[in-house]
Amino acid sequence: MLKTIMKSERQKVFYWGLLIPTILLLVFFLVTPLLMLAEVSFREVDSYLNIQDTYTFQHYIEVFQSGSYLKTIGTTLFVAFITGLCCIILAYPAAYMLVKAKHAGLRTLLYILLIMPLLISMVVLSFAWIVLLAQNGMINQLLMKMNFINQPIPMLWNLTAVVIALVQVLLPFAALPIANTLGDMDPKLRSASMSLGENRWKTFLRVTLPLSIPGLISGFMIVFSLAAGSYITALLIGGRMQPLLPLTIYQQVIQISNWPFAAALSFTLLVIVAICVLFLGWLLSRWEERVYG
Amino acid sequence: MAKSNNQHKRFNLGTCMIWLLGSLVYLFMTVPVLIIVIASFSPHAYPEFPPTSFSLQWYVELFTSRAWLETLWTSILLVLIVAPTTVILGTAAAVAIRRLNFPGKQALQAMMMSPLMIPHVVLGIAFLYQGTAMGWFGTLTALIIAHAVIVFPFVIRSVGVSMSNLNPILEQASMSLGAGPIRTFFQVTIPNIKPGIMAGAVFAGVTSFGEVSVSVFVTSPQFVTVPVRIFNYVEQTFDPVINAVSVVFILIAVIALIIIEKTIGLTKAF
Repeated sequence: MLKTIMKSERQKVFYWGLLIPTILLLVFFLVTPLLMLAEVSFREVDSYLNIQDTYTFQHYIEVFQSGSYLKTIGTTLFVAFITGLCCIILAYPAAYMLVKAKHAGLRTLLYILLIMPLLISMVVLSFAWIVLLAQNGMINQLLMKMNFINQPIPMLWNLTAVVIALVQVLLPFAALPIANTLGDMDPKLRSASMSLGENRWKTFLRVTLPLSIPGLISGFMIVFSLAAGSYITALLIGGRMQPLLPLTIYQQVIQISNWPFAAALSFTLLVIVAICVLFLGWLLSRWEERVYG
Repeated sequence: MAKSNNQHKRFNLGTCMIWLLGSLVYLFMTVPVLIIVIASFSPHAYPEFPPTSFSLQWYVELFTSRAWLETLWTSILLVLIVAPTTVILGTAAAVAIRRLNFPGKQALQAMMMSPLMIPHVVLGIAFLYQGTAMGWFGTLTALIIAHAVIVFPFVIRSVGVSMSNLNPILEQASMSLGAGPIRTFFQVTIPNIKPGIMAGAVFAGVTSFGEVSVSVFVTSPQFVTVPVRIFNYVEQTFDPVINAVSVVFILIAVIALIIIEKTIGLTKAF
């Protein structure tokens, strides 16, 4: 008896030994840099943007009092919202097709096509959209050859192009959770509804769709937060002038080196994204409570 | 009879709609990737469509350019350091956290996964600020640390899934037969979660190789990764060599998908 207890104690010590390097890594290289950034967001700066030893709320006040920064926050949330919505709308039929594909080879192919963007660098996919949408890009060339237009239409450097590219880059994050909920669904539920006299359309609306809501919410949650924080695609396709919060942060650091203000903007972004994600998580748990009791 | 016929028709219409919409989505996902492949074999700076001529000049330029090869080497070196390190740390952590119970466990788990959700621009400037303050900015170490933190969640998730399928009875049996914790870990736990570790390694490697949004902040002129170099190029000029570089990324994605499919199967990995 005593021997077994000692043994399980030894095992516990061993497991703690396995965990501690990771805890140290995360404390030093994830928590510490974020805390340092939080600290600098309250520092005063002089007119040369040198960081002072005194503290102030000034940077946060500036963010929330300035019309242009509020507009930037609004646009960022709007773009993230639209991207999330487009992703779940497009991901649904794609995931449905994947789950319903009977031939194993076809299913693997669809899976590969769906996951591909996840494994290719964001910068490569954004570049591909530039090749497609540029003034002398493929779409314009094609349209001119087919005599639909005489002059190339400018398709880059606007928020619509940014959303289109973001949707392609982030769609796998929406498609996978949706495919998972659709795949887990008991096919008997659908046949039960059908045999009770509902047609396919009503069965879809009353059975399939409600049961896939958790997948839709978690897909939207991931895409929304990634879209709200991404600047690579926005910068390459939308250009430097788009009023998006991550872009503004990037510029404050790279071009102006205004650290305290960039840090304040960063924490604003972080908190806003966290609030939205927590809200969606709450919505998800409420829905699951309602469905599963 | 007429009614059921009608219903049958409607069912076909609905299914057709879904397949049509779905196919369009798959097309939308695939076209940019295909375009890059086609463009890389075109001799023109802006590829024509449909393509009329074929050339390997961008590939020749890529593999004879010293600057690109140096960048490629940095990226490969980074993957070779980051993937094994995070796989070892992440596997150890995923196993331990599954078998331990302590207050704050949930918080620690959330912390491990948080680099997935924290906006990368925020992580990037936090790493840059810390690196500058501590004096390791511009070193390879800065890149390794940043990549390790970002890649970590992928390893935790893959190994975690394997761990949740592993019955603790097996480990207890090994212990009661006289094996110590270390022997149990290496001879029972590790062999049983091998697929998860493999998948974690593939994800860690591919993510690290393609990572750009945090790397932009921590690279220095001595250590530029391939995606950061592409980013700098695209932002300033247009260099068609990037078409050929992009195909390298597509090839790596395909190889990764094949490895995942052969080891654990795509459906289980995601």
